Amino acid sequence: MKRSLSIYFFLPVFLLATACDLEQDIEVALPEHAPQLVVECYLQQGKTFKLAVTESASYFDDPELPLVPDAEAFITHNGRRIKLTYNPKIGENGTKYYTHSSTEIMQGKPGDIFGLEVFDKKGRKVTGFTKLLPTVSIEEVEWKFNDKEKAYLLTSFQDAPNVNNYYRYVTYIGKTSTKADRDFTLDDDLTDGKRTSIGSAYDYSRNDTIVVSLYHIEKQYYDFLGSVDDAKSANGNPFAQPSKIRSSVQGGIGIFTNLAYHRKTVIIK
Amino acid sequence: MRLPFLLLPFLVLLFLALPAAAQNNTLSGYVRAAATGEALIGATVAIPGAGTGTITNESGFYTLSLPAGSYTLKASYIGYNDFSSNISVTGNQTLNIVLEPASNELQVVEVEALTLRQKLNDTRMSVEKLTTKEAKLLPALFGEVDLIKTLQLKPGVQSGGEGSSGLYVRGGGPDQNLVLLDNALIYNPSHLFGFFSVFNSDAIKSVELYKGGFPAQFGGRLSSVVDVDMTSGNNERIQATGGLGLISSRLTLDGPIVKDKANFLISGRRTYVDVFTRQINRLSEDQPDYNPIPDYYFYDLNGKFNYKLGENDELTLSSYWGRDFFKFKDDDFKFGFDWGNSMASLNWRHKYNDRLYSNTSAGITSYRYTINNEIDIFSFSLSSDIEDYTLKTDFDLFLSGGHSLKFGGSATRHNFTIGRLNFDSEDNSQTFRAGSNLTATEFGAYIADDYQVNAQLSLNYGLRFSGFNNGKTYFALEPRLAAKYNLTENTSLKASYASMMQYVHLVANSGASLPTDIWYPSSDYVKPQRSQQVAAGISQLFGNGKFLFTNEVYYKWMERQIDFRDGANLFVNDDLEAEFLFGKGKSYGNEAYIEKIKGRTTGWIGYTLSWTYRKFDSENPGDVINDGRWFPTRYDRRHDLSIVLLHQLGKRINLTGAFTYGTGNAYSLPVARFAFQDVQGQRASVVPIYSERNGFRLAPNHRLDLGLVLKLNPKRGSSDLTFSVYNAYNRRNPYFVYFDQIEDEDSGQTLKFQAKQVSLFPIIPSVTYNFKF
Repeated sequence: MKRSLSIYFFLPVFLLATACDLEQDIEVALPEHAPQLVVECYLQQGKTFKLAVTESASYFDDPELPLVPDAEAFITHNGRRIKLTYNPKIGENGTKYYTHSSTEIMQGKPGDIFGLEVFDKKGRKVTGFTKLLPTVSIEEVEWKFNDKEKAYLLTSFQDAPNVNNYYRYVTYIGKTSTKADRDFTLDDDLTDGKRTSIGSAYDYSRNDTIVVSLYHIEKQYYDFLGSVDDAKSANGNPFAQPSKIRSSVQGGIGIFTNLAYHRKTVIIK
Repeated sequence: MRLPFLLLPFLVLLFLALPAAAQNNTLSGYVRAAATGEALIGATVAIPGAGTGTITNESGFYTLSLPAGSYTLKASYIGYNDFSSNISVTGNQTLNIVLEPASNELQVVEVEALTLRQKLNDTRMSVEKLTTKEAKLLPALFGEVDLIKTLQLKPGVQSGGEGSSGLYVRGGGPDQNLVLLDNALIYNPSHLFGFFSVFNSDAIKSVELYKGGFPAQFGGRLSSVVDVDMTSGNNERIQATGGLGLISSRLTLDGPIVKDKANFLISGRRTYVDVFTRQINRLSEDQPDYNPIPDYYFYDLNGKFNYKLGENDELTLSSYWGRDFFKFKDDDFKFGFDWGNSMASLNWRHKYNDRLYSNTSAGITSYRYTINNEIDIFSFSLSSDIEDYTLKTDFDLFLSGGHSLKFGGSATRHNFTIGRLNFDSEDNSQTFRAGSNLTATEFGAYIADDYQVNAQLSLNYGLRFSGFNNGKTYFALEPRLAAKYNLTENTSLKASYASMMQYVHLVANSGASLPTDIWYPSSDYVKPQRSQQVAAGISQLFGNGKFLFTNEVYYKWMERQIDFRDGANLFVNDDLEAEFLFGKGKSYGNEAYIEKIKGRTTGWIGYTLSWTYRKFDSENPGDVINDGRWFPTRYDRRHDLSIVLLHQLGKRINLTGAFTYGTGNAYSLPVARFAFQDVQGQRASVVPIYSERNGFRLAPNHRLDLGLVLKLNPKRGSSDLTFSVYNAYNRRNPYFVYFDQIEDEDSGQTLKFQAKQVSLFPIIPSVTYNFKF
């Protein structure tokens, strides 16, 4: 909500600036940046362990993917230490890359704790933990047409009482490999223990296939996603304060978490 | 620890003065305008021969303490001819003074150098005064005369950014300014991002800005007092004043209701950009890619009513109502956003006798915003407001021996509505409520003595006792001290100390003044803010009294300054306090100022060298900013120069120019980046990494504004054309800087990263037609 509001203020300013040619290229001298390890690892029940390890770069460095071939990565669980080998490759949908993986399938139950360790020959070390969460079911996906043959979508689920829950809600029109139709996080501060409904605008047409996903996420993932969005919107919004990245890992930047989600596909009839 | 050191200059001054104290008589009376009978507040009354003088109080009343003898008394007020009279003082006596308006309105800034001498002799320091008549001669953005923005041309006062009407006084934020309109508080004194202040120039007579050395009657904010005085109605005849400008029009009506007994003033201003945008929308409605332009406008209404109950009593009702509207509507979606201040205050001035006066007022002031959103059967609204009921009374007691006492008290009931959210659907399938209501009481009592010790030394010392209750109760003593010593006839030394408390806080985490910024009371967790300031200065008249040079140094330290956590949710949050961070601040600097107010060419040069820092450190790593180290605030401005010149070219033509230069704002920029793929890889993006808070400097801000006022000669009344050129040499001043990702148009491949600077205002000429009849 905060983001969408600031757009209303910011848009006229930006329009004015571009309309009157009030934008110009400038040179900014940045201080020396010591690259930090960046990790991104999402555990998924029944899937293999996969991880991407890269480095941060000074802002004006050439836009290339800074891989770290000498990085070693391990997943720990119940006293076991599973090595992920360095083998960079593009994932099955052609957009996502991994640098480290293992053939072992992840198995766990809600409450289990997994650990991550990544270190390289420069002495950099990143560690993190994630606790498996139970999925939260989507109880109902409803829609209603207006007289212009456009429908809104209403997704409902039951929030568990007396615990802080965090969610990520994602919808796709068509396949999940296209760009997300809607994607945002929410907490249950105002809806603790209540049946919660997420509405939409009249955005959908008859016969649209909509894939609705509700991720039950950890607070550390919720914080990380929020800080990523804040940092991105601070670059270019004169009203925003800069935001530090709230990583879930120590010793570097990034996220180590697990994905517990429920997905429903509906065809709007 | 620090107090004895601070008291030292005062003790020295006191010591210098002791042998000179003598038995004095009191000379007192009112200063009024000849045509309207209006009491002139802040008029200068002086006895140059005795090296003494004063300014009139809120009733237009003055009092001087003099040994028996013959003197020449002089009185002056901007826009009026000087008054001079030989008097013989034999005992306590009354002398009422009537000032004639200056014959040529363009000569309003040409007043006797006496005013400069009065400034030299004034005990108060760190005070800037501006009248609307002065401000109207100066060039303005879009031709919109704005007293608050004109104040930014004075030393020690910085603007938040290009075009902003926010005042950053000696390192304080705009939320630390006590903005008073006819003694009543205005919470958010700006329209649209702060580009315009809420003060319609036709309804305003003058503004006084206190940067330090605060008199004891003021309290509740840390950094400044902006005391705005509304114009009173004409006592003699009904008149209309108005203007047509580039973006708004103004109309004011004022006059007597019962001659010499009751008068009124009503004044309105409205922008009209929306009239054109609606027309454009109507014309392009049928086009296939029709996208309506949102509506935006604001208006202000001011009203004032004076009623003289008798020789000793006068009632004044002052009011203000202003709103901004932003609306957007298409077939499915309706968005409305409105915000604004309202204020009404009833003042009763009473004269008990020649020595005792009181001014009692009861008032209500509020600020609110509401956002309404409707999509088909769903409606969503979010609003916040603050509403105050205030009762206050001030007494002026003139004693013999050179003492003028001021004492009084005030009590305010605050009602806060914070983030009130309503979500409903017509079929009642969805409803949702959130938000909180809080109440608090704030009070203050003070006593201060303005003591003319002798011809050389004057002191103003006082004590304010303030408190706040919101379940938890806070009390504080706020000592205030100011002293002036005339070293020679043309040189005076001044020093001051002031301690200030602030019990309500602005919840805002942006650099601009946004309408959604809300106020929050002190509580168990959110403790009141506090500041202390010392200042010392020298004033020197030279060039046969034509020029006054003033130099002031100041040091201010602030406790429990407020900022917010990264990513704080300040909109809908029932536990808003959890987002607060507390730190400390310091600001110090030197302000040099030369002004000339006599002759065909007048104006001033102000230069400020200053440093402003904040520090947010804590044992909890989540509660720190910038790793707990000191960092400069955005508006930390090392050098700030303004040169303002007004030249009377002919009888009907005035030419003005204002040049400003300021060190670039301190700004946070990312130093590094990383690639983030997200779960599916579809949201792959570049994420900036920030390090030092405000670690970069934007390019310096400078520009020249030019103005020309051409007085016309209509058959009836008076009128003029005011031409303004904002940013005359078309400087691209930085508003903000961001890092862009340059991509290949065909492949979408990232080619490079580029820093870009966005500016707001190019050269903007404007013309305004003003009339009065």
